[in-house]
Amino acid sequence: MSSSSVEYYRKELPSKVQTIGLVLLLVGLVIIILGYIVNPARSAQNNIIGFTFVVSIAVGSLFFVAIEYLSGAVWSTPFRRVGEFLSSLIVILPFLAIPLLLNINSVFHWTHPKPADKILIGKAPYLNVQFFIFRVIVFWLIWLVFYYFITKNSRKQDQTKDQFLTTANVKLSAIFMPLFALTITFTAIDWLMSLAPHWFSTIFGVYYFSGTVLAALAAGTIFIVLLNERGYFVEEIHTDSYYSLGALLFAFTNFWAYIAFSQFLLIWYANLPEETLWFLDRWNGNWKFFSIGLLLVHFLIPYIGLLSQPSKSNPKRLVVMASVLLFAHYYDLYWLVMPNFYKDGIVFGWIELGFPILIAGLVISVFVYKSKKVNLVPIGDPKLKRGIDFRL
Amino acid sequence: MSTVDYTRELSVLEAKPALRELDDLISKPIETKPNKKFYIALSITLSMLSLLVIGLGLTFYFGIGMWGNNNPVGWAFDIVNFVFWVGIGHAGTLISAILFLFRQKWRTGIARFAEGMTIFAVMTAGLFPLIHLGRPWLAGYLFPYPSQNSIWVNFTSPLLWDVFAVSTYFTVSLIFWYVGLVPDFATLREKTNHKFKKIIYSVFSLGWRFSNRHWQNYEMVYLILAGFATPLVLSVHTIVSFDFAVSIIPGWHTTIFPPYFVAGAVFSGFAMVQNVLIIVRKIFNYEHIITLDTLEKMNKVILLTGSMVGYGYAMEFFIAWYSGVEAEQFTFLNRALGPYAWAFWIMISCNVLLPQLFWIKKNRRTIPVMFAIAVFINVGMWFERFVIIVTSLSRDFLPSSWAYYKPTLVDGMILIGSFGFFFTWILLFVKALPVVSMAEVKAVVDGAQPSHKEL
Repeated sequence: MSSSSVEYYRKELPSKVQTIGLVLLLVGLVIIILGYIVNPARSAQNNIIGFTFVVSIAVGSLFFVAIEYLSGAVWSTPFRRVGEFLSSLIVILPFLAIPLLLNINSVFHWTHPKPADKILIGKAPYLNVQFFIFRVIVFWLIWLVFYYFITKNSRKQDQTKDQFLTTANVKLSAIFMPLFALTITFTAIDWLMSLAPHWFSTIFGVYYFSGTVLAALAAGTIFIVLLNERGYFVEEIHTDSYYSLGALLFAFTNFWAYIAFSQFLLIWYANLPEETLWFLDRWNGNWKFFSIGLLLVHFLIPYIGLLSQPSKSNPKRLVVMASVLLFAHYYDLYWLVMPNFYKDGIVFGWIELGFPILIAGLVISVFVYKSKKVNLVPIGDPKLKRGIDFRL
Repeated sequence: MSTVDYTRELSVLEAKPALRELDDLISKPIETKPNKKFYIALSITLSMLSLLVIGLGLTFYFGIGMWGNNNPVGWAFDIVNFVFWVGIGHAGTLISAILFLFRQKWRTGIARFAEGMTIFAVMTAGLFPLIHLGRPWLAGYLFPYPSQNSIWVNFTSPLLWDVFAVSTYFTVSLIFWYVGLVPDFATLREKTNHKFKKIIYSVFSLGWRFSNRHWQNYEMVYLILAGFATPLVLSVHTIVSFDFAVSIIPGWHTTIFPPYFVAGAVFSGFAMVQNVLIIVRKIFNYEHIITLDTLEKMNKVILLTGSMVGYGYAMEFFIAWYSGVEAEQFTFLNRALGPYAWAFWIMISCNVLLPQLFWIKKNRRTIPVMFAIAVFINVGMWFERFVIIVTSLSRDFLPSSWAYYKPTLVDGMILIGSFGFFFTWILLFVKALPVVSMAEVKAVVDGAQPSHKEL
């Protein structure tokens, strides 16, 4: 019953995919560079959305890899490499952060508080440029270290089939969990909550976390289902394994809605001006429609789409709903960032397109690059056989 | 260090017992007459329960002036106990419904007991809002109905939402528990020779004949009920947290309350399940059914939820400073350094520091250690509610009305009595019904599932 009985033939991704990825990457890059030349402030605002979105996918994927080790799950083992590939986006995070940090003054107004603004001056021990950059670097290093060691052990297992490497990764994952919770929380506070530096909400870190895991899961689901339908994993993987993906997407959709509603209801009910101002910014002018749209795209559509039992293991439905949810996370981040700057109404132009295109290209290119070097299936993993045999 | 073999699924039960053996072992406490120890335990819990009766008698006769509640502190032991007991109930639904949805087979040994505990804990919790009314005979007004005076309940109050949430939760938990019991009632019906018992079991087993079709329907109902119970359990403690968080009292009004209350509830509930099951498995010789592996997994859940609670405390403190709101900053400093600092530090040490011992595998697998930690967790979780409720009320915006709250003897009697009430039910439960689900446990014996065939 060793995992050596699993037959896996490597199949290269078609070169077309690589071309698409590179084209998107270049187009996105051109738009972003032009954007930074024409309107640096607005580009930097979009850059925040782009950066936090990639953090969500990259670090969120690492979270799922770690959860698999910690919980001893087997159904996801044949697909775990997808999460590992996506988490390699952690490596390129600095390239997304640097242009923003160069324009830090035009997005974060706590960098230059008015002398009369006592509240912001009170927050200066936390909200100052040096400490902010320090946190960005430290968080990135934490993610990088755990990414490096967890995926290294996993790759090594392809050759050695050593069970001890799984145990080592279980331990690494356990240490990663609390660090993940803290780094994601403070990333949310730093990059998103401090855009409205007078506003505060204790649940905000959990709110971003709920979007993070959903986005990572959605991105992973798209890759897993599309590749498995074309036979890139092991041949006999049963659609029962999809059910777990669908159920998790459904569960985290509800979790996001629960957290978002808790935050909204408590602030609405207490009606304190220092808290409601944030929601009022998102209800002014046509932002109202954007906010209602968030409810639709982030909750109602995926909720209805994934509610029934058969829909959770239907590959087409899964890809559609995962795409909706991935889009919803970008939409959510836009909703978190943009109303802070444009109080009168929604802004949308070609500058807004740069980062989504770049990120799509980036994710595809990184995935292709990784899949050329590493097996798509962790062939040495002791849980692989059980994962392939998994039935509901 | 022992190495784990990841290539095969770990057995839930130890030593592969025969199916007949399991039936006999689990139904033994029901089929035999209770022994002396049982009566000793029962007399202890009944004595505690009598304290509740006396405490409530005094309260009803003289009014709630018998309690320590004073002017700023209008909510104290009564609401603390309510939140505590509702929280205890949460582990039951987590184990029976949420872990079921997550396909965690190790839950089978402990699910039945945990569900039963949920029901008794919610019953205990339900006492407190009633007695807090002061005139409990008017409790009927809590339910909205078109009365002659056209007086309606206040639909915008979370206190009313509590009435709906807790009563719905209780109903669904009871149904869920009963549905799980049906096949076991049928087994008991087949086993007993006693005429009267046979009639009772026949009625409750609803004509169950162990047919294939029965099982199919049963599994579908069980899945659907688990799906219903999951949002319900989250909603209950969420709404309990709304009781505080919708107000503008510093220390109460904070947006993280809903998930943090739910995590705290699961945390204390698991500690309680773990405590009682350690005793049950020893007395009834269930050590191979409720294994050390199962207890270790429970301790991991305790560590996880305890850390979530710690995250909640930390976030509250950080945001209180970050907000720049003076009243918030004062409230949190007052908790840690003010007159109730002793309660605050009991809470921190029991809920955040002690559970960290579960990072060490040896502690997760040593019975006396885990038992002691879980006892402290329940102490800590009771104090958490005390800290939240009492410190915020005793010193709010107006320093001239600050006051220190001290419980009275009657408060203490009601608190101890509530434990008596709860444990009396538990004792009757373990003698009257199978504490472990016979049907489910038989399904996780090695070889019972198709995926086991290659063993």
